[in-house]
Amino acid sequence: MKKNIRTLLLVGLLVILATVFTHFDSFLYKNPVMKVQEVQVLNKDTSTDQYKNTDTQITQRVSGILLNRNHKKVTFRNTYYKSQLIDTKYTKDQQVILTKSGKHYTPQNVKRDTTIVFATGLVIFLLFCMKFDRRRLFISVLINAVIYYGFVQIIIKTHDSILLPLTVITALLISATALLVILGPSYQALMAYSSTILSTTAAILLSVFVLGLSNYSGIHLELTDFELQPYLSVFLSQVIFSVLGVILDETMDISSSLIEMKKEVKDIAEKKLFKSGINIGRELIGPLINILLFIVIAEDLNVVLLYLSNGNSVGYTLNMTLSLGITQLLISAIGIVLTVPITSFIASRIITRKVK
Amino acid sequence: MLYLFLTFVVLLLMVMGTRGFTLLFGLGINVISVLALLILIADGFNILITTGIIAMVILVVAIYMNVDNGKTANTAFKTSLLIMVVILLITIPLEFWANAQGLAAENQDELESFSLAAGISYPQLAISIIVINSLGVISETSVAITSGLNEIVENKPTLTPMEIFNDGFSVGNKILNTQTNTLLFNFFSSTFPLFFVIHSLGYGLGEIVNDKLVVAEVLTTLICTIGVILTVPITSYLVYRESKKVTAN
Repeated sequence: MKKNIRTLLLVGLLVILATVFTHFDSFLYKNPVMKVQEVQVLNKDTSTDQYKNTDTQITQRVSGILLNRNHKKVTFRNTYYKSQLIDTKYTKDQQVILTKSGKHYTPQNVKRDTTIVFATGLVIFLLFCMKFDRRRLFISVLINAVIYYGFVQIIIKTHDSILLPLTVITALLISATALLVILGPSYQALMAYSSTILSTTAAILLSVFVLGLSNYSGIHLELTDFELQPYLSVFLSQVIFSVLGVILDETMDISSSLIEMKKEVKDIAEKKLFKSGINIGRELIGPLINILLFIVIAEDLNVVLLYLSNGNSVGYTLNMTLSLGITQLLISAIGIVLTVPITSFIASRIITRKVK
Repeated sequence: MLYLFLTFVVLLLMVMGTRGFTLLFGLGINVISVLALLILIADGFNILITTGIIAMVILVVAIYMNVDNGKTANTAFKTSLLIMVVILLITIPLEFWANAQGLAAENQDELESFSLAAGISYPQLAISIIVINSLGVISETSVAITSGLNEIVENKPTLTPMEIFNDGFSVGNKILNTQTNTLLFNFFSSTFPLFFVIHSLGYGLGEIVNDKLVVAEVLTTLICTIGVILTVPITSYLVYRESKKVTAN
């Protein structure tokens, strides 16, 4: 118990130290970092646009010192809308990264690294507060982050030309890592792995086929994030990454329950095992679709509200903003449904032969 | 897209039987709730209050329609509500601190021809987005842990609180791992286009860690993870209180 408290104190101290360090790390930045000392509102202008949105445009004079330039005093003007869609209101004591052009300084970014480090620290501290198996979690997150980093580096170098095959390879690697860390190198991991790959592939191929039948009508592929090309590859890559975690969860749940069942009832028939697999899977489908539903919709809320406040009808807005998300969700949902029979089939066959 | 939807419905009914209709109904209510939220916000209702109310409706649907056991559903619902409050309490100061609301320079192409004076508070919307994002993960986690724990407690009614907490963590370990994977892979899914654009804009490391959109994505993932982590002790505590009530009778 005493040792636990000592570790906890140490972790807490490290988190606080790291947070404090990033608060004073302006010397690491090439750009000037300003600490805001005084903010003056110069002008307030409330206006109503043609869509009857009332917003206030505010001009502020922000002055402060440059933390990494011998505390030189600087001032800049900033204009923002009260709604702060793409502009920012600056407040006292905030740190702001500036760029210098000629003799003038313009704000580039709020300094957000302290928040990120603090939030990460909070997660780690909470994990240490409780009896979780932290090592496995850290290992799998770290390995997957490294794989993802490699993936991003390669797509940047190849300019997206091999995006889809690269995504498939990355997906194979990260799901293998996740399974190996959670289940260890066992036939159960292999079973879950093959079910995951089969289900995901089946869902993607089936969906591409069905979408092709209707010639992708009603789907604005050109509206993928940042209008990145080639549209279809970017979209499918996003679908694959997004659904992978959920399908992994599902295959692991079904196969581990079936193994337990076989251990308890030694002479259970393959057919019965398959049926039980379907029954277990049925319980999982709803919650898993829900998880993705909210993650996918939440992504687009900023843009949806921008469309709505610009006088667009609800129908047009949904068509332009959410149709892609809903398509992504439907493909994922098909994958989640297909996983149930596929995993049950593979697991029931292998388990009847392997578990004695 | 209609064909795709029909494919989904046919497959769902093949696997689920008639229970597929209930599931479709639940999904429908959830989609409509989110749409209602959007329309209410666009009409100028208070963002945080509306989000809170709609989130509660969604949790009721997500938990009570998917869970048959009433006791499990009650505990899971209480847990989810508590987690929702905790998430709000963590998100509000963090978002205020990070200023990671709305869109950014990377979205410039999409923003042409829009009036940006929207009259909606995007800093508040940023908080609402994180709450909505977490709803599915939180409800699923609390249901999974509650039903796992209830099963253990029913088989061994004389558990001490310490034992219940230990069992909670052994059930929670696997769920934490899988939910972290789901969150992490979704982070990958939404950020690789972003990193590609950031590269083409020539950002360095210092610009990336302070970038509004990157920070917003990282915060969403971290806060949802905090929600998942806290579900374990809160559920254990609620299950322990329930079991004490039962033995007292």
